[in-house]
Amino acid sequence: MRIEEIITFLFAERLIQAFQAAVVRAVVRWWRIIVIAYVVTFVASTAAALWMMFFYAPVEATMGPIQKMFYVHLPFAINAFLACLAAFVGGVGFLWQRRMVWDDLSSAAAKVAALTCTVVLITGMIWGRYAWGKWWDWSPRLTFSLLLWLLYVVYLILRPSIESRQRRAAVCAVYAVAAFLDVPLVYLSSKLMPDIHPPSIALPALEMRLTLAAWFVPVTLLTAGLVVAFMRASRRARGRADAANADAAWSLSESEPTRP
Amino acid sequence: MISVLRKIALLTAKDLRIEARSRQTLGLVIVLGVLIIVVLGLGLGMQASAAGYGATAVLWVAYVFGGVLCFEKTMAVERQDGALAALLAAPVDRGIIFAGKLLSNLVLVFALAAVVTPAAIVLFDFDLSAAPGSFAIVTGLSMLGFASVGTLFAAATSSSRLQGGLLAMLVFPICLPVVIASTRMLLGIFRDGKALGGDSLSVLVAFDVVYLVVSWLAFERLLEP
Repeated sequence: MRIEEIITFLFAERLIQAFQAAVVRAVVRWWRIIVIAYVVTFVASTAAALWMMFFYAPVEATMGPIQKMFYVHLPFAINAFLACLAAFVGGVGFLWQRRMVWDDLSSAAAKVAALTCTVVLITGMIWGRYAWGKWWDWSPRLTFSLLLWLLYVVYLILRPSIESRQRRAAVCAVYAVAAFLDVPLVYLSSKLMPDIHPPSIALPALEMRLTLAAWFVPVTLLTAGLVVAFMRASRRARGRADAANADAAWSLSESEPTRP
Repeated sequence: MISVLRKIALLTAKDLRIEARSRQTLGLVIVLGVLIIVVLGLGLGMQASAAGYGATAVLWVAYVFGGVLCFEKTMAVERQDGALAALLAAPVDRGIIFAGKLLSNLVLVFALAAVVTPAAIVLFDFDLSAAPGSFAIVTGLSMLGFASVGTLFAAATSSSRLQGGLLAMLVFPICLPVVIASTRMLLGIFRDGKALGGDSLSVLVAFDVVYLVVSWLAFERLLEP
């Protein structure tokens, strides 16, 4: 490596570090304002999306009012994929750098993935009851979606069953990486195989398309907000556990008999 | 290269020698596999049993449950008397340890299949003679993916509190895509009379490659004394 390249590399590294530090400082400084802005935006966008769903978008001719379930179903499905991706990124990050912040991201995203997959399955089943006349069908898309939910529910059971923090993080990281392999299968299943689930749905009216777009805002905000909230909760729990361990170690050293 | 192959063969032989002396795992999983087939045959009733094609799915239930027990036992052997710590201290790459464990698991799972498959053929009146080669290829490729994931997570869960139950819970959902692909292919071959095509096989090979690479890369990060 030439000297110019080394200087460029070091400068880039320092630049990235400085940028990260500036972002962290700004977030810490403006945290309350960020939270208030988030809550206001979330409440307003949810209210707007609900109003558009019930009063703005027209009732679909074939399925009737139950078609409105689609406006909730699709944004949650896309966000479930994003949460799975975040869990995967956290897993890869932990295996690469062994930093607990990646484990926090992976575990928080896996929790949100399980939650969003639950919403997707429930709304999909209600839709299916009216569209196909049955709650469930063992079609590829539905089967792989159920499998995706199962994978992230298993992840939630896996975490508390391993006591060592580093080992838990490593095992869960590997599991998050392996579980993500199901996401392309869910996406591609109805495109590649014959399936009762339509590969894509074209909304005929502009109002319908706008309503669908409006629902993406609160659902994405909810997903991102839950990931951040779970990450903070994990970090706090880790801090409390460290403090408790330090106290226990200190009291143990205090109670040891001294030599005469 | 020869040295690597020799090390893998040594590790596999060590595991199989332990199994041959103790005779614990294989006897247990074979009896379990036959029991599963009998119970499912009774549960599904005469009509489903007579149809024959149900055997492909029933066989996979037996393979999967028996296989998980094999994975757990081959890793549990290493936990006794600190054998794993000694193995990790040996000048052997962890990828080689993974390959050795995978091979010994594959031998055990194939031995299970060698006994359980004839039992299902007899009890379900399943006509394997229509395409025995295709059955062997599809089942063999699927078992490779299944065993690679099983070997990885057996190493991960061997020191956890739940152990056996947890391993089954981890391996089943991750291997389900392979199991679904395999049973669908076998149904296509035996029920619909389709020939085993390159497209179908490439799906299984793709699963195997992904599972093998992920398992091999992750194994060394999970293996701890």
